[in-house]
Amino acid sequence: MSSEDRVQVAASFILQSPPGEINDVLNDVRVIVDDDAGLEEGILPALREYNIAQFTTVEVPGEHHQTIVSEFARVPGTEEERYLDPRSKTSFVFNHLTLEATDPQSEEPSEAEPQRVALESAALSYLSSHYHDGVATVLAMSTTQFAVQIVSNKYNPSNYWAGRWRSHYEIDLESRTIQGRVLVNVHYYEQGNVQLSTSNDSSISIPAAVSSSSPVSSASKIFALIEAEESRCQTSLNDAYHEMGEKAFKGLRRALPLTRQKIDWDKTMGYKLGAELTASNRAFGAQPR
Amino acid sequence: MAEGPDPVDSMLDLMRRLPPTNVEENVNALIQICPDYADDLLDRATGKDYLACDYNRDGDSYRSPWSNEYDPPIEDGTAPTPKLRKLEIAANEAFDTYRELYYEGGVSSVYLWDLEDGGFAGVVLLKKAMTPTSPDEPSGSWDSIHVFETAERGRQAHYKLTSTVMLELVTKQNNKADETSVLGEPEKRVSEQGWKSSGEITLSGSMTRQTEQDWPVHEPTSHITNTGKMIEEMEMKMRNLLQEVYFGKTRDIVYDLRSVDDLEKARQQRELQKELVGFIKR
Repeated sequence: MSSEDRVQVAASFILQSPPGEINDVLNDVRVIVDDDAGLEEGILPALREYNIAQFTTVEVPGEHHQTIVSEFARVPGTEEERYLDPRSKTSFVFNHLTLEATDPQSEEPSEAEPQRVALESAALSYLSSHYHDGVATVLAMSTTQFAVQIVSNKYNPSNYWAGRWRSHYEIDLESRTIQGRVLVNVHYYEQGNVQLSTSNDSSISIPAAVSSSSPVSSASKIFALIEAEESRCQTSLNDAYHEMGEKAFKGLRRALPLTRQKIDWDKTMGYKLGAELTASNRAFGAQPR
Repeated sequence: MAEGPDPVDSMLDLMRRLPPTNVEENVNALIQICPDYADDLLDRATGKDYLACDYNRDGDSYRSPWSNEYDPPIEDGTAPTPKLRKLEIAANEAFDTYRELYYEGGVSSVYLWDLEDGGFAGVVLLKKAMTPTSPDEPSGSWDSIHVFETAERGRQAHYKLTSTVMLELVTKQNNKADETSVLGEPEKRVSEQGWKSSGEITLSGSMTRQTEQDWPVHEPTSHITNTGKMIEEMEMKMRNLLQEVYFGKTRDIVYDLRSVDDLEKARQQRELQKELVGFIKR
């Protein structure tokens, strides 16, 4: 297998990294591929893809908050990996390997700013009401279209678990719709490897009265809709666990046979067969009785 | 690769982290990177095909435990000695009964081979896949691989069992708003046909456990009875762990990420309580 092919395989492993474990996967991959120079050069596209897909967060230079590195926040018309933090109206260069943000520049907000700020403030208040360690960004795509991203990470390697919740919404005030996707990944690996992966796509229409009201009032109502859908999505997980535990688990392997008793192995073996084997050779038995 | 960490350890660590759902593709990819380590990986890692590769494969052919024939046929394919083959036949019949009682379907295979030191070893494979009859029903698969070694000590035999279970469950959900569906508070209810959602939940897991036990041996088939009891006990323990501990834990972690209840309200309540306590103390 050529070095390029090995790096390609390594890239596919990177993209499957559980929340917060990309460095562990990278360390494993380094040892296995055994070609640091080739890996460092070839792995960058995979790291970039991972960071963007996983809503990687970074501390904004000179600010006391984090923002999400996302395709929507990418500053157009530049070769470099420059991303916008709409909240502080600064852009920065992001290094996908070291996860560092450098070279901050201030950016001019668009005319959609009043509506964006209203949505952002509703997003932050929603965040503090329902997320333990969440980061949210609201980006203006046009004067009537906005993208909302939310990510919440919890890494607890000493207790062998990690989790990530990602939400993405595209709000269109013109067509009065919210298109959303929620992705949850959990990894529990104490003496095992158990993973939960969920995806939920939703489509919510915004009532006419909401979209025509003031930016602040419409923003808080839009987040009430998002809150209801996310809570429904989270609660429905309980039903799914119940369903899987009751039906699927039992359907695959019963806890006990229908008789509700463990197997009588001597009976299962059949005495005739046992006797025949004993008679034909004693190599595996200890002593003849 | 003489220096630095052992690639096998790195591979095993990787298998502990990557989604169990993709274990087959990932192990295949790893074997392509380091063909020299394939045997070693197979020995310690998990996966039916891989144990099967080792224990019932000769070249590109696989030996059936039922007919003892290789497919595609080969001449002088590796096979157990006649007396071990007899035990293998009996073990396959016994575990076929076990499979029917616990799995009510699926496939089982047992392969035995002689060890250099006079004892013997074996692998018991059980596989069940569940395909849903309607889109709302969950689908899933179960694979268990039990590798054991036994050495006789007089009337006793010492058994070393390494068991691995791999499990996957998938549920699809589809929802649409209608007259009866309530989204939280009444004022948050969206207008008719104003909401729809579809989701998929995948729960996957793999775990490995080991045990060593001594059991009496009266006759050759005692080995089947003994390993049967050990494997039954082990599967029971691992099934309970996966269902009660592991899956429950993943659900709890979701609630560590997001809270259905309003955290801000809870905070305010705590503040209010503190103030009240302070007020009373004054």
